[in-house]
Amino acid sequence: MSDEEHHFESSDAGASKTYPQQAGTIRKNGYIVIKNRPCKVVEVSTSKTGKHGHAKCHFVAIDIFTSKKLEDIVPSSHNCDVPHVNRTDYQLIDISEDGYVSLLTDNGSTKDDLKLPNDDTLLQQIKSGFDDGKDLVVSVMSAMGEEQINALKDIGPK
Amino acid sequence: MESNGSVSSMVNLEKFLCERLVDQSQPISERFRALFSLRNLKGPGPRNALILASRDSSNLLAHEAAFALGQMQDAEAIPALESVLNDMSLHPIVRHEAAEALGAIGLAGNVNILKKSLSSDPAQEVRETCELALKRIEDMSNVDAENQSSTTEKSPFMSVDPAGPAASFSSVHQLRQVLLDETKGMYERYAALFALRNHGGEEAVSAIVDSLSASSALLRHEVAYVLGQLQSKTALATLSKVLRDVNEHPMVRHEAAEALGSIADEQSIALLEEFSKDPEPIVAQSCEVALSMLEFENSGKSFEFFFTQDPLVH
Repeated sequence: MSDEEHHFESSDAGASKTYPQQAGTIRKNGYIVIKNRPCKVVEVSTSKTGKHGHAKCHFVAIDIFTSKKLEDIVPSSHNCDVPHVNRTDYQLIDISEDGYVSLLTDNGSTKDDLKLPNDDTLLQQIKSGFDDGKDLVVSVMSAMGEEQINALKDIGPK
Repeated sequence: MESNGSVSSMVNLEKFLCERLVDQSQPISERFRALFSLRNLKGPGPRNALILASRDSSNLLAHEAAFALGQMQDAEAIPALESVLNDMSLHPIVRHEAAEALGAIGLAGNVNILKKSLSSDPAQEVRETCELALKRIEDMSNVDAENQSSTTEKSPFMSVDPAGPAASFSSVHQLRQVLLDETKGMYERYAALFALRNHGGEEAVSAIVDSLSASSALLRHEVAYVLGQLQSKTALATLSKVLRDVNEHPMVRHEAAEALGSIADEQSIALLEEFSKDPEPIVAQSCEVALSMLEFENSGKSFEFFFTQDPLVH
């Protein structure tokens, strides 16, 4: 599980990046950590209960950064880790040759540690919009110490 | 609940499960899988198959069938359970489970059936079970009157427990003392056990593990079962010791073996294989079932035969 080019590893990805939630209460479109990756749940099914009465939840989920499909089976009474997922909007100032972007933060400084997204459609939209000289606002999703541009919010004419 | 397209496949599945349950040529573990899949179904088909299985030549399967009938809380099964309870040709573990099932179904009409066995059954574990079941029924009617739920409080493990959990304001320390107190009544100790289970956490689990030294075999067997629900690796050493103890009651060793299967630690495999040759069939078959549970658990599959389409609503 290493698509190194779009992982921004953080040394402090730990307990505070997630919170516990009982598996049986996690629903489709919710978030879950599988194999230490923040994921969005696309499918939940629950097994019937067995001898000891515990049902199991079967999760199919998509890594919110790599779009990779991950699966997990957890007893419904057990806790799962759920990632805190945040979204922040920034105005795009510049795209450098090496694929890094320069973003304008709320306090007026710049944020220069993010690359263009891997998603082809989104990448092309951002590039062509920027080349056309439009004002672009990108939405950055962050979870478990990683962040990535995941949407183009607004395209205004210059 | 099921979409129209899956109705016929559900009927086929039910038929398959009923046949598999009573097919003595199948390995005991496969019959168990069918049993606990049927436990989740309703209606005369599954009920009748389980009633038939409650008189199976495997005492282990027979008692689990009675257990499943109780967990289903199907009043239609009462006459069959009554006749199992009163049939002295059946193993005490089967009669015990029939008594517990009558308590789980919980209707006031079961009181006379249980009172009769309480005074007449020769086996202590059966009489103790009748006492618990009677107390549960009494407790439930009181609860209804006060419109307050403690016995009816849903177990997080979706099991119908032989006693409601003790009031939630009791501390883990207090519950531990009640559970380990040999002078306390069985129902009170059971209530403490289930409250500790629902509470969870290290201190609660260690109190539960310690209660495996209680003097009542009935209590010890329930403790082993609860440890299978909790799936805590902390319990591995003690449960292994119980399974190894050939002087322990087979009912307790059976629950210990299946709890080890539920906890599904690879280290238990050798032990379970060793005791799948135990001279006591209840223990040997439990180890077979446990090995199968363990394998399913570790391969990430469900021991039961199928998944539902939608998540259960709690």
